[in-house]
Amino acid sequence: MILIVIAVSATVWLAVTQQLVLYIHPRYIVFTVIMAAIALALGVMSVAVRPRSPEEPAVSKGWAKIVGITALVLSGVVAVSLIVVPPATLSSATASQRDIVGSTVGSDSQNADDVANADESLIASFTVVDWASLLRQTSDPSFYADKTATVVGFITESEDDPENIFYLSRFTVTCCAVDAQPTGIAVYAPNWKNSFAVDAWVEVTGLFEINPSSRSDASLVLVPNELSGVERPSEPYLY
Amino acid sequence: MTVPGSVENDHRHDHRHDQRPRRSRRRLLWLAIGTLGVAGVLALRAFTGGLDSVGVPNVPQDLLTLATSIIIESLPFVVLGIVLSIVVQTWLPDDLLMRYLPHAPVLRRAAISLFGIALPVCECGNVPLARGLILKGFSVPEAMTFLLAAPIINPITIITTYQAFGFDDGILVGRILGGLAIANIVGWLFSLHPQPNALLTDRFAAQCAAGSDHHRQTRSEKSLDIFMRESSVLMPAIFIGSLIAGAIQVAVPRDVLVSLGSNPLWSILAMMLLAFIISVCSSVDAFFILPFASTFMPGSIVTFLVFGPIIDIKMLAIMRTTFTARVLVQLSLVVALMSAFIGLVINFVA
Repeated sequence: MILIVIAVSATVWLAVTQQLVLYIHPRYIVFTVIMAAIALALGVMSVAVRPRSPEEPAVSKGWAKIVGITALVLSGVVAVSLIVVPPATLSSATASQRDIVGSTVGSDSQNADDVANADESLIASFTVVDWASLLRQTSDPSFYADKTATVVGFITESEDDPENIFYLSRFTVTCCAVDAQPTGIAVYAPNWKNSFAVDAWVEVTGLFEINPSSRSDASLVLVPNELSGVERPSEPYLY
Repeated sequence: MTVPGSVENDHRHDHRHDQRPRRSRRRLLWLAIGTLGVAGVLALRAFTGGLDSVGVPNVPQDLLTLATSIIIESLPFVVLGIVLSIVVQTWLPDDLLMRYLPHAPVLRRAAISLFGIALPVCECGNVPLARGLILKGFSVPEAMTFLLAAPIINPITIITTYQAFGFDDGILVGRILGGLAIANIVGWLFSLHPQPNALLTDRFAAQCAAGSDHHRQTRSEKSLDIFMRESSVLMPAIFIGSLIAGAIQVAVPRDVLVSLGSNPLWSILAMMLLAFIISVCSSVDAFFILPFASTFMPGSIVTFLVFGPIIDIKMLAIMRTTFTARVLVQLSLVVALMSAFIGLVINFVA
């Protein structure tokens, strides 16, 4: 009963502070909050009425007792963490582990033929996922020559040329952070570590050009005209 | 003239009368403690929430984020499942569900395996509902048939699978028919057990045996009793399952699984392993696996979509509240073999 009170209270608090989007897709927020409110009401009423169970659970012995205590301790650790540790998005550690380079997330979010003659206002609205989608379809530099990209994401270190290239990354979420899939575009910024840390959120404005780095496998990279640190967006995941 | 027993009746009446204020005071005390507890948790959350960082390294921080995400995502479905279980156990007439079911066991289980069409609750929410069905008088194999089929034939699952794959490569049809076949065959297998109640944990079996002792409670009291009992049993399982699922996700590189994807057999095993680890809800797992569709064979995708809603880390932890460890091992083996068989057939036919 304590665990459900903690879980529900944390959910309500995250909803009030608009941080539930760090964990679940926005479409589930209303449903989650309604069910949390129901659970909270039922939980408080259950404690108030304190109905008597007809039987008490049997006392565990031996291994069952050890497993039970371990489960209790682990549940307690998660519960305390849920309350004490500040909410956070998934980091570059998970992005790297989930193969940001080989990601095919949002492959069809943009069609190169449709974008070829698109106007500037449409191109300005493209996210990391949109650009990654186009880069998978064409690596012809002339296609990108007149298309300035302005994108926001967090920094994930490039494995093959970490000094000069980082991946500007975003997670795409379908249901919750568990299914978050990373995608990213290579940004050429020599000695970027002098200015930014891994996981820092940055905004990059620039053009896609042939990769100057000989160590990196990326054929085209975003070469920044402007590169600046920004606050984490209120909705850090893309949907 | 003294009516026999009237003194005793008066005494009981007085006794109840004396107890009421004390009981009310006790309820008020617990209500105050409960409310203060919730307020305390919220206050602590508000205080620590202002901290930008407590210096948690990336990997443990991601583990906690993943575990929290699973808890928050599954919580509403579990609550919905408990509420539906309360409705089934307390508010529906006793014979309403039984009245129209066929008498022949095979047909009866087949009908029960279709209950999920009307109950759009994902797999973790179906566990309390299945427990409620057993308490309502369904046999253990019947409830198991419902539990296994419901998350796959739930309408939301079917719609999202259609949105992700359409009718391409028989993935949608393979998922629905495969899920129904596995649920009914597993239900039939466990119906051969001479003592089906031996499949249950001692604690839940005792709860089933004591179920009829609730008659002194009002319906409201019984409903709250069920809520308290079910949430007390299920929440630790969700917390533990979420923690383990999160830990394995940050520890096992996914490209190891993907590298196995183009082999008809290994891709099936890789998909089952991925489904087991990832523990993602059945109503959205089709979107989750969609990016893998270009790497993995169609039968392997079906294996993921059939195996995952039945067996994964989170589900095993939650089902352990109801079934013995031996049953869960047997269930996992049977479901794994059948899912792999379905996947192999589709891989070689499609």
